Amino acid sequence: METPVAAAGIYISVPFCKTKCTYCNFASGVFSKAKYRAYVDQLCADIVGAHEIAAGQQAEFVAAADSIYFGGGTPTILPASHIRQIFAALRARFDVARDAEITVECAPGTLGPEVLDVLLACGVNRISLGVQSFADEEARAVGRLHTRDAALRDVEVLRRAGIADINLDLIAGLPHQSAQSWQQSLDDAISTGVPHVSVYMLEVDEDSRLGTELLAGGARYHAHHVPDDDLIAELYEIACERLSAAGLAQYEISNFASRGHESRHNLKYWTRQPYFGFGVDAHSMLPPGPEPARAGIDAIRFGMGDTLEAFLSAGNAARIAASSTVSIEGALEEELFLGLRLNRGVDLAALRRRYSSALLAGTHQKIAKLCSHGLLQHAGIQLQLTPRGRLLSNEVFAEFLAPRAAPAGGVTDARARHELHTAPVG
Amino acid sequence: MQREFIRNFAIIAHIDHGKSTLADRLLELTGALSAREMQAQVLDAMDLERERGITIKAHAVRMNYTARDGRQYQLNLLDTPGHVDFSYEVSRSLASCEGALLLVDATQGVEAQTLANAYLAINHGLEIIPVINKIDLPSADITRTKEMIEQTVGLDAKDALPVSAKTGEGVPDVLEAIVKRIPPPKGSAETPLQALIFDSWFDPYRGVGVFLRVFQGTLHKGQKIRLWSNGKVFEVETLGVNTPKPVEIEELKAGEAGFLFANLKNVADTKIGDTITDDDRPAIEPLPGFEELKPMVFAGLYTVDAHEHTLLREALEKLRLNDSSFFFEPESSVALGFGFRCGFLGLLHMEIIQERLEREYQLDLITTAPSVRYKISRTDGDVVEVDNPSKWPPQGEIAKVEEPVILATILTNEEYVGGILKLVEEKRGRQKGFEYVSASRVMLTYELPLNEIVLDFYDRLKSVSRGYASLDYHLAGYWESPMVKLDIMVAGDAVDALSIIVHRDFAYDRGRALAAKMKELIPRQMFEVAIQAAVGAKIIARETVPAIRKNVLAKCYGGDITRKRKLLEKQKAGKRRMKRIGRVDIPQEAFLAVLRVGENA
Repeated sequence: METPVAAAGIYISVPFCKTKCTYCNFASGVFSKAKYRAYVDQLCADIVGAHEIAAGQQAEFVAAADSIYFGGGTPTILPASHIRQIFAALRARFDVARDAEITVECAPGTLGPEVLDVLLACGVNRISLGVQSFADEEARAVGRLHTRDAALRDVEVLRRAGIADINLDLIAGLPHQSAQSWQQSLDDAISTGVPHVSVYMLEVDEDSRLGTELLAGGARYHAHHVPDDDLIAELYEIACERLSAAGLAQYEISNFASRGHESRHNLKYWTRQPYFGFGVDAHSMLPPGPEPARAGIDAIRFGMGDTLEAFLSAGNAARIAASSTVSIEGALEEELFLGLRLNRGVDLAALRRRYSSALLAGTHQKIAKLCSHGLLQHAGIQLQLTPRGRLLSNEVFAEFLAPRAAPAGGVTDARARHELHTAPVG
Repeated sequence: MQREFIRNFAIIAHIDHGKSTLADRLLELTGALSAREMQAQVLDAMDLERERGITIKAHAVRMNYTARDGRQYQLNLLDTPGHVDFSYEVSRSLASCEGALLLVDATQGVEAQTLANAYLAINHGLEIIPVINKIDLPSADITRTKEMIEQTVGLDAKDALPVSAKTGEGVPDVLEAIVKRIPPPKGSAETPLQALIFDSWFDPYRGVGVFLRVFQGTLHKGQKIRLWSNGKVFEVETLGVNTPKPVEIEELKAGEAGFLFANLKNVADTKIGDTITDDDRPAIEPLPGFEELKPMVFAGLYTVDAHEHTLLREALEKLRLNDSSFFFEPESSVALGFGFRCGFLGLLHMEIIQERLEREYQLDLITTAPSVRYKISRTDGDVVEVDNPSKWPPQGEIAKVEEPVILATILTNEEYVGGILKLVEEKRGRQKGFEYVSASRVMLTYELPLNEIVLDFYDRLKSVSRGYASLDYHLAGYWESPMVKLDIMVAGDAVDALSIIVHRDFAYDRGRALAAKMKELIPRQMFEVAIQAAVGAKIIARETVPAIRKNVLAKCYGGDITRKRKLLEKQKAGKRRMKRIGRVDIPQEAFLAVLRVGENA
């Protein structure tokens, strides 16, 4: 029996910022305001022509949408008229559910009355505040422009405006962070009474200035004040403990919410529901069109170019940087390495219904081994990460990936070593 | 050519003292090569040779020279390898000459290498012509250089020739001196054939080529020749000389040098120093001085990727075609899988082979710590030779260990003597001589265990002397020493490829340093990993790699699953490049660290 196609999530990328934070490894940056116009026009053209983009990828266009997420960058940096224009395009092309979750990422200290008005007018009902830290020294060290007071004030302002669905982003592993300052940040977050908190751990790679500096062993960007891996692990454990004690239960590796306030949009990524991304480096996953579906393809993934230039260049072929089909084998791998991110884990009975026993046979031994190592556990029909397994989830996920040829050219050993630990040592 | 118009000579020089440049100049002056044909430094053919500025294989070039007396002479330049590892090859090249140019850099003076080869030449009774090079440089000191030649080599440097090989100044006098001062070869073209093999190489189209010097008799095309050491008989297909372009000739008479091809398939048949004679009319005895070359330094070679093992074997076989002094046999290591135990003449030789394998055959290699060959007397009375730590008998079965010892000659400037003495003492050296060879130049002679040389001695010597020390050595016997096998255990398993043989007194420090280094290099695993250094059953050092606590990707930027997958795949690939021993993944660098651990110890 065919399962009905779930409603899609829509992601809108706004890659503009006033300043670029040192830890940021996303394709956002500081661009002149003159670029905003061209960007929004292209974005809207893509949204209006979304069904054609989907067709070009041999994917099925999903018109029903029940979540919209504006990420950045700093979406609220755009003038009100641009924001309205984007929403108009969205509602023209998609059937946006009346109860859709509509989230906009905001930088604390930038929520003026004009911005709030346009967000409310457009139906935004959820705000994610990029606080990262309530300790001013820590926020300043990575280039955030706000203070603790400004962030706390924003929560109040949003509440008064009628937006209660608020998420606070926090990062464990910022320069100068200690167990004590981290607990203080957590306490501040909890005291606001927001229903959702995301806790990320500092990612170290060559796509951010701080990451590059850490890999090089330098001291710029306060890199030498970044906590070591073990301390970051500890900070994470403290967060899990404190937040759940405060009623914000962990539902995903990085996400905590009070009951009923889990992010519908983010869940689409982990549960492999369709989503359509627009803008620089935005990614989509759609059901296959009739032809690939007949060939046994499970899903189509594609992403837009990850630079502003690529995105603004002519022709969809050039602008769509990467596109791939997910085979049934790939789909099973994804179910495991995405689904296991959720605390509730993966429903093994559902997997048995969807995938052949031949395909599943390969996972039994791996699951048994990971359980014996204390990284996975069974809870009824659910397979879940243990708390230790969450911190070592890459080790678990890698097990489920089919062996592939080593990447051509090869990374240097030093680099590979660093990547085994996503955050720096010392 | 009549014998009296033939001159066979070699050039003895230290690296960078200008041997190749002088050779080029001689070729140019005798018209062997036009300036247009000159490729700088014609004699150093291999890329590696040109890069390192040393000659690895010997060559022979014939030049025709019209001397100032108006007569035509045939000058044969028999080039010699320029490094201590190849001293036997040098000795065979020198044995094929009647004279040698002793080339000394006027800004540097005599170096240990030059000295060793000069002594070798004197012992062979060669006429030696001192040539002082680089006189065009402002820092050239001809008088001092002459003094040093007289004091160190013990030669009369009154008639030393000042030249600049670079500008060509003085080089015509060198040609004249070769004719006047070096005696013509002896021997008769009529007596039974005696020819000396002084080098061989492999030509993919024609098989093995042999460089030789005819001492007695005549060699001609089609002749049935016999190799003295193994009695094998071949027919001469091609005779030739390099001018330096190869030119075929009909015969080589007593006194002349050249090359031959005789459908020889195997370089191992053409041993350097062997005598070639006529199969129908053999000589009564071989030429003197033949020795079987024995490797002195041993190491295991493994490919990082186990699938390349066959490629490594093929590459080693090909290299061996060209280099009979290097030996290999299959070995296997629990840690590294299948590889080859290789024997080399010395450290440079090892490095060259390694580099050629990596460069010419694109192999990614792991080399185990170099070792020497010990003589072990067992308690049951047996004597065994062991060059591989994994073959070391249990300590309880060893009655006596003898280790090879070298006699090292080090020439340096006074100000570095302090540092060098400290180094050689640390390396268990015993002083044999301490001599001022000029006001500020010192010659040290030391007996040193070869074991201490193979690890890091060259690098250390270079650093304590800032490069102003030269070293020459030769094997000088054995010492009875309390050597022990030091094992490194990772998570309880001894890793054979990390075992080394050390002097008992050094075991503790080495063990500690190695364990600390391993802790640094072994990435954190899913569980705590104990690293122990042990001699026999006794643990002498312990370190712990704590379990990894976090390896997690937090954010999923805009649903970019592909990026996540790539990162996971990269991590996985990184692990596959490591060697898994027991449950522990050990990176390649850990195996290389054994080679370097002495530095900080």
